[in-house]
Amino acid sequence: MAPSSTQQILLSPAELSYIHTSLSLSPPIRPDARTASQFRPLVAETDILPSTNGSARICFADGTEAIVGIKAEVEKSRPIYQQNVEELDLSAGAADDEDEDDEVGNGVKGLNEWVELSVEIPGFRDDDSMPVFLSAMLSEALLADGDFTKRLWINRRFHWKLYLDILLLSQPLSYPLPLLSLTTHLALLSTRLPKLKSELDEDPLFDDDWDASEFLYPRAVGKARTRPPVTLLVMAVQENIIFDPSKEELAVAEVVLAVSIGEMSPPSGGGSMEVDSGKGERDLRLLAIRTIDPPSRLTHSGVPNTLNTATGGSAAGTSEQNSSQRESVVEEGVWQPPRGGAKRKLIAAMISKVLERGGVAEEVLDGLDAVELG
Amino acid sequence: MPLDTSSYSLALLRLDGRRWNELRRLTAQISTQASADGSSYLEMGNTKVICTVSGPSEQKAAGSDRGERDKAGVRVEISVAGFSGVERKRRGRNDKRINEMATTISSAFQTNLFTNLFPHSTITLSLHLLSSDGSVLAALLNASTLALIDAGIPMKDYICACTAGSTSSYSSNDESADPLLDLNAQEELELPFLTVATLGGSDSVSVLVMETKVQVGRLEGMLAVGVDGCKQVREVLDEVVRERGSRILEGTKL
Repeated sequence: MAPSSTQQILLSPAELSYIHTSLSLSPPIRPDARTASQFRPLVAETDILPSTNGSARICFADGTEAIVGIKAEVEKSRPIYQQNVEELDLSAGAADDEDEDDEVGNGVKGLNEWVELSVEIPGFRDDDSMPVFLSAMLSEALLADGDFTKRLWINRRFHWKLYLDILLLSQPLSYPLPLLSLTTHLALLSTRLPKLKSELDEDPLFDDDWDASEFLYPRAVGKARTRPPVTLLVMAVQENIIFDPSKEELAVAEVVLAVSIGEMSPPSGGGSMEVDSGKGERDLRLLAIRTIDPPSRLTHSGVPNTLNTATGGSAAGTSEQNSSQRESVVEEGVWQPPRGGAKRKLIAAMISKVLERGGVAEEVLDGLDAVELG
Repeated sequence: MPLDTSSYSLALLRLDGRRWNELRRLTAQISTQASADGSSYLEMGNTKVICTVSGPSEQKAAGSDRGERDKAGVRVEISVAGFSGVERKRRGRNDKRINEMATTISSAFQTNLFTNLFPHSTITLSLHLLSSDGSVLAALLNASTLALIDAGIPMKDYICACTAGSTSSYSSNDESADPLLDLNAQEELELPFLTVATLGGSDSVSVLVMETKVQVGRLEGMLAVGVDGCKQVREVLDEVVRERGSRILEGTKL
């Protein structure tokens, strides 16, 4: 279970109970009056740094800001003896079919080590658990479908090595995973690699015209065909499923999930290229799920009147007895940190709510489509 | 790098087409991040810097305290992004050069800010270098000034910084060496240069850093050009602050 943000929650048990009650109403009433699946507005821009292959910046409405810069270097592939046998068979097929579009599948192989991802969060060392977990979750989603590293293949002897540097510029106010994921998504979409001029297994030679460079994620008429993954944060309070939780909402969450989704390319047949893939045509895939330790578990519980001597109740003698008594009392309006795990039904409901047609994932991807790419 | 006298002396133009006393394009924004107490974004040519200020806030417990009870401490954190240079390079927390820049900035602002107004507290400057093309320390100092103004921390005057160099290297004994203003990364590699910061429009120097060798006769000229450049920088920074101020007065926040 990935750790929650270490930011301290400065809310009293009474406030926590208030937020929890209003979020468990049907429909839930959120502190900022959003609906359960409504996202906060954000500001995004791409291609901001000329010295990178691709870059993006996103500002969330709560003031958190992230910048991602992607740099690519040509690196010599180390020989993999296991694959050589396979490739010998394939090389016959690859020779007569040199079409660029069909390159996936013709001996094109990618290795996960061709991608290096680092997350930097102010106030944390780079070996602290928070940046390490975040970079693990982000790279997990990116490498999940195995297609991504194939894009970095140049020829049998060389490949691109991709460095993704993710900087969080502000303090991690809420859990920064969605912010970092969306910024990485945009940066990857804007990433361009120089056009290859050499053929087959020669030493790679590139076109030095940057205008001729090719996008890492090729597009059809300004619109990306396939897209990098997006990781969204979903939380639940009782039966209510809430998207894009703010800091205060996370403080009372019972279950928090990080759901990574990707979009598969529509079948790239000759005829279907012309058909404008309208909304609802998205082929969404679930790539990864992680549960995140809700920060609500670390809060203190409120004291009900029956256990409070000041209000005529009777407190137990020792603190152990007291806490065990507290566990058994369930009183409306008195905050009690959530105990136990998530119900399977609930998790299934959360996932289907992300993936369903016209659901949140589509809304997010549509929103990201609107960002003008350089 | 062929910025030797052969190409410079012909047209008196530098590699990027500037004359000796021209600054690169200097633009800045203030209040770029809503969640910080103060923030700024500054570009000097291709050097791009983001600064955020948090504080003055309660002093953190043991470790970071500066041992001063009646003044605020100024803590500076510099992070150099891996993608900032031409080659991708990660730098650790305890890179000596970065630490030295942090100390320089911290001590410059320690004396410039009215820290005595905030006893038992810390002002944290966190600086991100996004793209580096020379004059890094100068850009960091200028961005810090803007962010501290945005945070509303009282100070004596702006600290404005820029670099100055000399057209001939230490070894070549060239009599007719010109001083140069605001060097880029290519020129910094080759030529002797210094970073100078002055207090506002005055001639009082608050920071002077020089890491290269230069013949002592040339130092005065370099310094004079640098101080002159700082005055130009102040004009630009002042313009940014005033524009922001008039926006607030109009009521259109941005």
